[in-house]
Amino acid sequence: MKTVLAATTALMTCFSAVSATAAECSNEAWNRVMERGSIIVGVKADYKPWGYRSTDGELVGMEIDMAKDVADKMGVELELVPVQSSNRMQFLEQGKIDLMIATMSDRADRREIVGIVGPNYYTSGTNLLAPKPLKLTDWEQLRDKPVCGKQGAFYNQIVEERYGAKIIAFAGNAEAKQALRDKKCIGFVYDDSSIMADLASGDWDEFEMPMKTEDDNPWALAVPKDERNCVFGRFMSGMQYNWHKDGTLVELEKKWGIQPTAYLAGQQDRFKDWLSK
Amino acid sequence: MSRVIPGLTAVSKSDLPVLLPFKPTPAATTRVNFSQWLASIPFWVPFMIFAAAFWPVHAFAQSNGFSLTQAFETLWRWIPFLLLHGFVFTVIISVLTMLLGTILGVFLGLGQISRNRFVRWCSYWITQIFRNSPWLVLLFIVMLSFPFQIDLFGLSIPVPDWTKAVIGLSLPVMANISEIVRGAIGSVPSAQWEAAESLAFSRRQTLFEIILPQCIKRMIPPWMNWYAILTMATPIVSILGVEEVLNLTRQAIEAENNRPELLIPFYGFVLLIFFVYCYPIARLTMWLERKYAVKL
Repeated sequence: MKTVLAATTALMTCFSAVSATAAECSNEAWNRVMERGSIIVGVKADYKPWGYRSTDGELVGMEIDMAKDVADKMGVELELVPVQSSNRMQFLEQGKIDLMIATMSDRADRREIVGIVGPNYYTSGTNLLAPKPLKLTDWEQLRDKPVCGKQGAFYNQIVEERYGAKIIAFAGNAEAKQALRDKKCIGFVYDDSSIMADLASGDWDEFEMPMKTEDDNPWALAVPKDERNCVFGRFMSGMQYNWHKDGTLVELEKKWGIQPTAYLAGQQDRFKDWLSK
Repeated sequence: MSRVIPGLTAVSKSDLPVLLPFKPTPAATTRVNFSQWLASIPFWVPFMIFAAAFWPVHAFAQSNGFSLTQAFETLWRWIPFLLLHGFVFTVIISVLTMLLGTILGVFLGLGQISRNRFVRWCSYWITQIFRNSPWLVLLFIVMLSFPFQIDLFGLSIPVPDWTKAVIGLSLPVMANISEIVRGAIGSVPSAQWEAAESLAFSRRQTLFEIILPQCIKRMIPPWMNWYAILTMATPIVSILGVEEVLNLTRQAIEAENNRPELLIPFYGFVLLIFFVYCYPIARLTMWLERKYAVKL
C-alpha cells in the first residue's frame, strides 16, 4: 500500500512538473546549445552576398558574419548548415538547426511557425529587372504578360494576384536571368537590392529597374517558436538591437558590397545611445 | 461439300508433329539497354558538345564583356570544389545505394522463388510496387517520413539528408536487383535442379552450391547496368536539398553573380564528369555481356 501511494505521488509530481514547465520557459534549445558547446545556424548557400560559397567551399557572406558574432557572444563554436527557402522553417521546427538567419521576409503566417524576434536586421522590396526598350513604367503593364521569378519568393503570388502577371518561376537566378535574355519573359521580379547590385555590375546596361518598389518587407531571423519569449529570443533581440546601435550592420553592408539602404541608416539613428555624441 | 485442301482452300495447318523454326529469346538477365546505349556513344561526342557549349558564350561576349576565357577561368576556379565536394559525394551516394539495394534485392529475389506461398506473394508485390513507382515520389516519401535524428536509449543518432537519399534511392534499385536475381535463377536450365535432386542435394544446397554460382556471372552485366542508371539518376536528390554536385554547381553559379553565360559551361561540365565516370562502366558491362553470352 505504501509503495503504491509513493508511486502515485511520484507520478503526480512528475506530471505537475511537466505541466508547470510547459507554461513557462524550458529554454530547451538554449540549454542544448550550451551543453553541446556549439550553435547550429541555418544560412543560405545560394544568395550572394548574404550567404554563398567561396571557391574552396566555405560558406561566407553577411549573414554568416552575423552568425559568427552570435556564436562569439554566446561563447560557443559555430556550425553552419545550408538551408533553402523551402526547408528553412521545417529545419528550425525539427530542431535540426538552433537559429535561422536565412534572408527570410518577416510575414504574419511565418510568425505562426517560427519564433521571429525584432528589431528586423534588414528590409527589401519587390521590383522588376526589365529591358530598357520596353519602356515599362507601371506594374499594371504586366497584366497577362509572362514574368520570370525565383521559386519560393513570396511576392510571386502577390504580383500574380494583384497585377495579373503570368509568373514563370525558376530554381535559380541564373536560369531566370537567362530566360529574360532569351525574351521568354518581359521582366524578372526580384529583390530590389539584388537588382540594384546587378545593374551596378555593368553587365545589364540594356536593362533597368523601372517600377516603384513594392511590398517593402523587413527580414527576420528566427529561433524555435517556444523560445521566442525566453532566453534565446530575448538574447537575439538584444543582438539585433546592438548591431543596429553600434553600426555593425551598416559596416557589414559596406563590407559585402550591398547598396546602402535608408532602412539601416534610419535604424542606427533610431537606436542611437542618447548619451553618445 | 467441297474438299478442303490445306494451303489452297484453307489456312495451311497440320496436326502432324513438325519442327518449328527456332527463335532464340534473349535471357531475362541480358537487358542492359542503358549500357548498350551509353557504350554506343563515341567517347569524343560529349567533349565536342562541351566545346560547342562555349560557343554561345563567345557569341555573347561582344555585348556585355564577359569573354570565353573569363568563363573558362571561372569554371577552372570551381573545378576542384565541384569534383572533391560534389562529385565524390555523388559517387559515395551511388555506391552506398547500390550496396544497400543489392543486399535487400538479393533477399527479395530469393523470396520470389520461395516455396512458401506467402513469402513468394509478398516478395512479388514488393518488387512490383517499387519497380513501378517514380523514383522522385519514393524519395519524397522517405525524406518526409524519416526523422532527422533517432533517439535510442538516450543516444541521439543524427540522420543526415544524404542517408535518407540513399535509403530512398535504394528502394527502386532493390526491386530491380530482385528481378535480376529471380530472372538469373530462372534462366538456369531446370534440368539442373532435377539432376541435383537425383544426387540427393537438398534444395538449399542446390540453390547455393549449384544454381547461384552460375547466376553470379549472368547477373554482373545487368547489375552494372543498374549501377550506371543509378549514378545518372542521383542528381534528382538535389531537389531535396542534398549537397551533391548539381546543387553545388548551382551555388557556384550564384557565387559568380548568376551570370547566365556560365549556365552552359557549368552544367556542361557536370554532364562531362558523369560521362567520364559512367562511360567506362558501360563499356565494361558490354564487354562482360559479350564474354558471358557465349557460355551456357
